[in-house]
Amino acid sequence: MIKIKQLKAEIDGREILKGLDLEIQPGKVHAIMGPNGAGKSTLSYVLAGREEYEVTGGDIEMNGESILEMAPEERAGKGLFLAFQYPVEIPGVQMTTFMKTAVNSVRKARGLSELDAIDFLKLMKSKCKELGISDEMMKRAVNVGFSGGEKKRNEVLQMAMLEPKFCVLDETDSGLDIDALKIVADGVNKMRGGDRSFLVITHYQRLLDYIKPDAVHVLAGGKIVKTGGPELAHELEEKGYADIVGAAA
Amino acid sequence: MSLPLERIPTPKSERFKYTNLPRTLKGLDLKPASLGWGNKIAVLEPKAPGAEQYRDTELWAINAENVSDIRFISGDDEIDVNAKDGQFICPRIVIDVKDNQTVTVVERQGGAGAYWKNTVVQVTIGKNATLRHYRICDEAEKGVSTIFTHVKIGRDSTYEAFCLTTGAGTIRNQTHGELTGENAHCWLSGVNLLSSAQLADTTITIEHQAPHCTSKQTFKSVLKDQAHGVFQGKVHVHQVAQKADGYQLSNALILSPEAQMDTKPELEIYADDVKCSHGATTGRLDEEPLFYMRARGIPESVARALLIQSFCGQAVESISDESMHEVVTGKIEQWLQSRI
Repeated sequence: MIKIKQLKAEIDGREILKGLDLEIQPGKVHAIMGPNGAGKSTLSYVLAGREEYEVTGGDIEMNGESILEMAPEERAGKGLFLAFQYPVEIPGVQMTTFMKTAVNSVRKARGLSELDAIDFLKLMKSKCKELGISDEMMKRAVNVGFSGGEKKRNEVLQMAMLEPKFCVLDETDSGLDIDALKIVADGVNKMRGGDRSFLVITHYQRLLDYIKPDAVHVLAGGKIVKTGGPELAHELEEKGYADIVGAAA
Repeated sequence: MSLPLERIPTPKSERFKYTNLPRTLKGLDLKPASLGWGNKIAVLEPKAPGAEQYRDTELWAINAENVSDIRFISGDDEIDVNAKDGQFICPRIVIDVKDNQTVTVVERQGGAGAYWKNTVVQVTIGKNATLRHYRICDEAEKGVSTIFTHVKIGRDSTYEAFCLTTGAGTIRNQTHGELTGENAHCWLSGVNLLSSAQLADTTITIEHQAPHCTSKQTFKSVLKDQAHGVFQGKVHVHQVAQKADGYQLSNALILSPEAQMDTKPELEIYADDVKCSHGATTGRLDEEPLFYMRARGIPESVARALLIQSFCGQAVESISDESMHEVVTGKIEQWLQSRI
């Protein structure tokens, strides 16, 4: 599904990713944990195609095809989805308009017919219901005036609507209380299964109690320094990053 | 007869600092013409109201001396002011809204080739009345359109004006509003969408002459290529005009490094119990929302168009007439589709 090979990336001339390797098979959930400044957010932005980050080496392949030269919207069309750590507020653009434009853009990219207003609303209503999102929220401007929990739920809603093949969740747990966290995790778990793969990026082990990963990686200093099963997350929680990062360095 | 070039204000005059009309008009070969409305009725005010105080009414005087067409409006109406190539015309539109009336006037300004339209719109609104005045400007590249709108707003009355520009050569849109009665309202808004070497100059003077009046100015400019936007807004609160509420906002979105926006807000306040605010911004499109939308699969051009549309939204929302709201939204969409 996704293959990251010796990935190097920098921003403003500062190298953040220093030869990162990672491979995720179809249908698998991998977690990346790491201390602040390890390069977690950089990795998610580079995957999504943010232009401020310059890839200086290595490659990212999705289903055997390099995505490095693709624009963010092309990557989304191919099935990549990034759930933002800080979802962006867009005053003046209504959620429904935004969502309909996004859904029909990826459908077009995938060779599917565009949804008309009625089919779109049906789809949106059913997904909103599944995630416990009120219709009223869809009438508001994108993320404007949303609480922290609403913003993250909105990310999961967008993920459900766009039916991606590979989902990157960038610190989806940050700023969430336990109830909100459960709702978000439930939404993600409903989408698991089949060929869909996930990369869950987090600072804390807590999220991984709700979204059980198949593998856990530790990112430090721009590289994967350790890989293990779900138990690695607990180990990190107990011992902290210092031991593992220290041992690897 | 040639154009009264020596009479046209130059950038030396303060209110024409950013718009060089003589230079633009000098190269044009124009002859006096008319729209065929007739001009035999003599009700002109040769001197513009406020002439002495503000010294910015030369275009009104030129219109009075060369008036080519006169049209009276006192009820709902639509009016087209279309110039042909080579024409110099001075139309005068007189709108008289009687007490307790609500009137909607749609004015479409356009033309083909090179021309100079020097329009004066003279508005009087009685008591407890409303005029909704919607202006759509789609001018030719070599067209010069100068419009002087003067409005007198009586007690408990509202003047709601919206101006959309989707095409221009050189446009000077000057409005002078006088709030003469208590609890009168002057609400002006507009969207200027400019590309290539187009220029649109919005120059406003609003006088609060009575207590408890409100004035609002909400203008959005989107500038592409070498386009040039000008906004000069003056709010003058006379000493008697206590409890005045004056609001002014001019936002410009610059889509290319060669585009230019000149903004000059002015507040002149002589009353002591007033609420006046103004804000002006000039900036580029935000990268964050753009990336967010693209990450959701929305192509860059579509994302830009959506963001620009939402940028214009605040001005468009002030249109209270639903069908006009739709027309304006559609025209903005069209412009975005062909140019972004």
